[in-house]
Amino acid sequence: MTVQIQPQEEAVGFDFSNYARNQFLGQHMNGLPKATSTGTTIVGLKFGGGDSGEEEGVCLGADTRATAGDIVADKNCEKIHYLTPMIRCCGAGTAADTEFVTNLISSNLELHALSQGRPVRVVTAMTMLKQYLFRYQGHVGAHLVLGGVDSTGSHLFTIHAHGSTDKLPYVTMGSGSLAAMAVFESAYKPYLKREEAVALVARAIRAGIFNDLGSGSNVDVSIITKAGCETLRNYEMPNERGVKSRNYKFRRGTTAWVKENIRSLIVKEDVKITSGAGKEQPGIEPHPVPVGAGPGGEEGMDVDS
Amino acid sequence: MEYNGGSVVAMIGKDCVAIASDLRLGQQSVGVAMNFDKVFPVNDKLYYGLPGLATDVYTLREQLRFRVNMYRMKEEREITPKTFTHLVSSTLYEKRFGPYFIEPVVAGLPSPTELDPHPKPFISTMDTIGCITTPKDFAVAGTASNKLFGVAEGLWEPDLEPEDLFETISQTLLNAVDRDALSGWGAIVHVITHDKVITRQLRARMD
Amino acid sequence: MTNINSVDIKHLKNGEVNLGTSIMAVKFEGGVVIGADSRTTTGAYIANRVTDKLTHIHDRVYCCRSGSAADTQAVADIVHQHCQIYSSLYGTPPPVATVTSMFEKLCYTNKDQLSAGIIVAGWDAEAGGSVYNIPLGGGMFQQPWAIGGSGSTYVYGYCDATYQDGWNEEETVQFVKNTLALAMSRDGSSGGCIRMCVITKDKVQRHFIPGNELPRFWEGKEVVGAVAGVTA
Repeated sequence: MTVQIQPQEEAVGFDFSNYARNQFLGQHMNGLPKATSTGTTIVGLKFGGGDSGEEEGVCLGADTRATAGDIVADKNCEKIHYLTPMIRCCGAGTAADTEFVTNLISSNLELHALSQGRPVRVVTAMTMLKQYLFRYQGHVGAHLVLGGVDSTGSHLFTIHAHGSTDKLPYVTMGSGSLAAMAVFESAYKPYLKREEAVALVARAIRAGIFNDLGSGSNVDVSIITKAGCETLRNYEMPNERGVKSRNYKFRRGTTAWVKENIRSLIVKEDVKITSGAGKEQPGIEPHPVPVGAGPGGEEGMDVDS
Repeated sequence: MEYNGGSVVAMIGKDCVAIASDLRLGQQSVGVAMNFDKVFPVNDKLYYGLPGLATDVYTLREQLRFRVNMYRMKEEREITPKTFTHLVSSTLYEKRFGPYFIEPVVAGLPSPTELDPHPKPFISTMDTIGCITTPKDFAVAGTASNKLFGVAEGLWEPDLEPEDLFETISQTLLNAVDRDALSGWGAIVHVITHDKVITRQLRARMD
Repeated sequence: MTNINSVDIKHLKNGEVNLGTSIMAVKFEGGVVIGADSRTTTGAYIANRVTDKLTHIHDRVYCCRSGSAADTQAVADIVHQHCQIYSSLYGTPPPVATVTSMFEKLCYTNKDQLSAGIIVAGWDAEAGGSVYNIPLGGGMFQQPWAIGGSGSTYVYGYCDATYQDGWNEEETVQFVKNTLALAMSRDGSSGGCIRMCVITKDKVQRHFIPGNELPRFWEGKEVVGAVAGVTA
C-alpha cells in the first residue's frame, strides 16, 4: 500500500465566516463600525521630455490625513506606497484595502521580476491591480494613482476600485480630487521641468488639504525618473501645531489607586558556571573533542569493507 | 462596538510606554461586570488592548495567543511590538468581509538589539479590518475614543517619566470615561519600563 | 466600505466609473468607420475627458465600449487575449464574426453581473468590413450601422433618416462625426472630443476632432453665423 502524503491545501484569501453575524449585529445596533478611510487628495503628473531638456518622469503627491468618519485617525500617515524600486502607488478609499492591496501586488511583482529576470513594467503592475480589484467587484475599496518608469518610458495611471483604469498625463483621485484637478486644469503644460512639476503637484495637494475636509496635514511627494525614485516625505508642512507655552503635567500622586502590582524584569544577568563541562577549573586542561569522533566519525565507526 | 462598551488608551513616554483600559463589561445599557480587563500581555514588555465586542475579545485573544506561540517556537525569540502589530493586522484583514468588532491597541518597549541598540517606545492602533496607524504620541480606541482623542490631545506631552506618564494616562482615561456611559466601572493602567512593569487599579467612579 | 466621492449613483454598482457614452460604427464599401466621444464619468464628475473608448482587440478588429468602464475593460482584455491565442493557433487573424461571438459569449453568460454595451467592428478577408452590436443582455446583431451608449437614444431618428448604402470612406466619416456631435450636444454624460477610426484592408487610421472643432451644422445662423452651416 502506498501512502500519499500531500500537502494540505493552504487556506488563502478572505474568510467570510463572521459576515452573517455582523449583518445581524448591524441591524440590532446602531450600524457597523466604520473603517479608517483615507478621505484623500492624491495626484500624479508626468513631466520632462519634449522641449523641456530634461529626462521624462512622473511625480506623485499625497496629503497625510487619515479619517474614521469625522475623526482624524492619523495626522501624518503615508499614502504613497512602494510597489517596486521604480514604481510607486498612491492610495485613496478604504485605508486597510489600499495598504494590503499594494503590499500584495508589490510582493507578486517582486516574484514576477525574479522569475522573468528583469524589472517589471508599469503596465504589469496596472494589470495585476485592476484584475485583482475587478475580481472583488469594488468591495475592496482601493482607488489608486499608479506611476513609474520602466524600459518603455514613464507611465501614469488611475485605477478605480471596480477595476477600471485610465492613462492620462495628469491625474487626481480621492475626495480632494476636484480641488486638485482644478489646479492641474488651470496650470498644467506638457513637458514641465522637474522643479516645476514638483511645485505644481505640491500646489494641487495643498488645494486638497485646504479645500477638502477629508484631506489635511502635510504634503508627501515622490519623483520617479530613469535615474531612480526620490521620495520627499513631508515635503511641505503647512499645518504644524503651535507649541504649548505651558504644560498640563499633573503633580505625582494626583491619581488615586487601589491596588498596585510591580513586576520586576531581569535586565541583565551574569552567568557563573559552577560545575560541568563549561567550567574553567584550575589545573585541568580543557579537552577539545577531536574532529570526526563519535558515532559516524572517522575513528568511531566501521565502514563495510 | 457599542454592545459591550469599553475603551483603551496607550501613550508614549521617555523610555517607557503606558496602556490603560476601563473594566466595564456591559450588555448595551446594562452593566454586567466590573473586572473585565481588556489589556493582555504578550511578553514582558509588550501589552495589547482589545476594546470592542466581548465575544471577539476572547476569540481574538486566543487566536493571537496561538499565533504568538507559533512565532515563538518557529523563530526562537520574542516577537517585537512592530511584528506583533502586523500579525494582529493581518489576522484582522483575513476577516475583511466579516470583521471582528475590535479596534486593537498595541504598546511595547522593543528590546535592544545589535542593529538597534536604542529602540524607541512603540504604540500602534488598528481599525476593525487591520489598517495600522503608529502614532508618536498616543493611541485611543473604544466607545470613548472621541473623548479620549480630545483629552489626550490636550494633556499629552513628550518625554514624560514613567510616574508622570502614569498620571497623564490615568487622568486622560478617567476623565474621558466619565463622560461615556458605556465605559468606566474601574480602570487599570500598565506602565512598561525597561526594568519593571507597574500595574495599578485606579480608584474610579462606579456609576 | 467607503467611497472616495460623496456623489453616489444608485444605478449600476455604487460609485462605479461609468462610460455615459455616445458610440457608433458604420460599414462602408471596403471597411468600417468607428467613433466615440471621450467622456468618462463618476456620478456628476468627469473622471476622464479624453478617454479612448475605441479599443484595440486585434490588428483589424476594434470595439466601442459603453456601460461600466471596469466591466468593458475586463471583457475587452479577455477577448484580446483569446484573439492572440486564436491567431497563434490558426496562423490567421480572427474574423470579426468570431471575435464578436467571443464578446457575446462573455456578455451573455455573465449578463447578471455585467453592464456592458459593446459594438464590435472591423475588417476581415471573408466578409470585408462588418459591424456587430452586442447590447446589454448579450445579444449579437449584425447591422450596416450601429449606435450605442446613453447618447445614442437622441440620434436614432437622425441615423435612420440620413444613412444611405454605398457611401465611400469620406462620406461615412462625415456621417459618424455629425451623428456623434449631435448625440454629444444633447446627452449630458457624453461630450469632450470625437475619436474615430477607419479600418480597411490596408490601414487602421485614426481621426481626432477636438472639442472646439466639433460640427455645429444644426445650430441656426444666429449661433454659427451665416457662412458655416449646411455641409459643416
